[in-house]
Amino acid sequence: MESAFTYTESELVQGLKAKDQKVFGYLYDRYSPALYGVAMKVLNEESNAGDVLQEVFLKIWRNIDRYDESKGRLFTWMLNITRNTAIDTLRSKAHKMDQKIQVIGDDVHLYTTNLTVHPSVDHLGLSKVLEKLTKEQRVIIDLAYYKGCTQEEISKVLEIPLGTVKTRMRNAIIQLRNLLKI
Amino acid sequence: MDVQRYISSGIIESHVAGLVSDSEAREVEAAIQQYPEIKAAADAVRLDMERYVQMWAVKPPAGLKQQLMARLNEVEKEEAEVPVAEDKQEKEEEEPRFVMPQIPVLKIWQYAAVAAGVLLVVSAGMNVVYMGRADALGEKIAKAEEEHVALSAEKSAFADRYQQTQKELDLLKDPAFKWIKMQAVGKHTDIVATICWNPATKEAYIIPQTLPEPPEDKQYQLWAIVNGKPIDAGVFQLGNMAKALQKMKEVTSAQVFAVTLEKKGGSTTPSLDQMFVAGKVAG
Repeated sequence: MESAFTYTESELVQGLKAKDQKVFGYLYDRYSPALYGVAMKVLNEESNAGDVLQEVFLKIWRNIDRYDESKGRLFTWMLNITRNTAIDTLRSKAHKMDQKIQVIGDDVHLYTTNLTVHPSVDHLGLSKVLEKLTKEQRVIIDLAYYKGCTQEEISKVLEIPLGTVKTRMRNAIIQLRNLLKI
Repeated sequence: MDVQRYISSGIIESHVAGLVSDSEAREVEAAIQQYPEIKAAADAVRLDMERYVQMWAVKPPAGLKQQLMARLNEVEKEEAEVPVAEDKQEKEEEEPRFVMPQIPVLKIWQYAAVAAGVLLVVSAGMNVVYMGRADALGEKIAKAEEEHVALSAEKSAFADRYQQTQKELDLLKDPAFKWIKMQAVGKHTDIVATICWNPATKEAYIIPQTLPEPPEDKQYQLWAIVNGKPIDAGVFQLGNMAKALQKMKEVTSAQVFAVTLEKKGGSTTPSLDQMFVAGKVAG
């Protein structure tokens, strides 16, 4: 069922804007694992992650006209939609109590194991890269990106001064970049 | 803007990770539009995030795509149906829409005249009501303005008082200042005035304290006496300044300070019989 041919990003955007379902199907095949991974990491569970993923692709279909190529790549745009939709779901009434409190809990280690979603098999090599990030570097990226935590919350969880959250984030990403280069 | 410093501040990474507040995010977006270097840095960080996210890619359950495509078709159908429904309604209404009752032209004018009259009366009434309201508002504004003026006067008075106090406090704390208490001399009793003098900077201040109010045409004058020779240190006021610190002329050296009552504006030599207080400089 997967498409045999590939599209460039601008062809994809054009096809989506023209409401071409074939292009949409290709988009799903190409990007759904990454986006599903985001939803899984945000929600820590499978059942809602599937709903979120459907929601995300419907949003992409409906709102493709709002995508502005000059502001960034299509993938970044889709990632942000996924992240925000999943975080919204996480924050909705059902999740608010148990999940969010868990995020701000004091025990960072307990919480990091909770965050772990098994990386896909294709990227096992890369997951070794991940191990070279310090725990703090991973947690800071995950808290900000996947949990939508504020600087105050991160400073609390990691027990670091509020003023250093931004520089720690930068160091984490620089370290990530160095590891990806190898 | 220092672009390099901005980039190394970590705000771009924080923005891409969704860590910054909405207002900060707008600021970063603006910086990205304005500076190509910042845009390049942001693009690189986005790419890092993309690759990081890719590492966690998980294949979604197999049936999900079919479900999604089914929902997509439903959405498309709904959207396609809506305009059709509207068309139908319009067609049904089309026939009776432009039928107007036949009314003689004269009658129309009569109705119009009555309507205009009614409107005029209503409008006149409204004018009266609103004028009354405008008056009341005007009064309120005037009152508020008055209050505002009074309050700012009060505020500046407080500010002056505060400055005065602050100045006195500074002098009190400055160890370079000498404090000379001048006691009553001659026939006078129970009068005290104090000098505060910095020999290094030559600044001198007086606090008149309990000096009695002088007659209309007279004024007190301060003298710095060196080896029996009085040097004019200026005149000062009483009244509401009696308890305040008043700056006098510069005093280069002094063994004794004395205050005499002189004609308004001061004299060149002191009237020694009119000396009220005097005090020796210690050390």
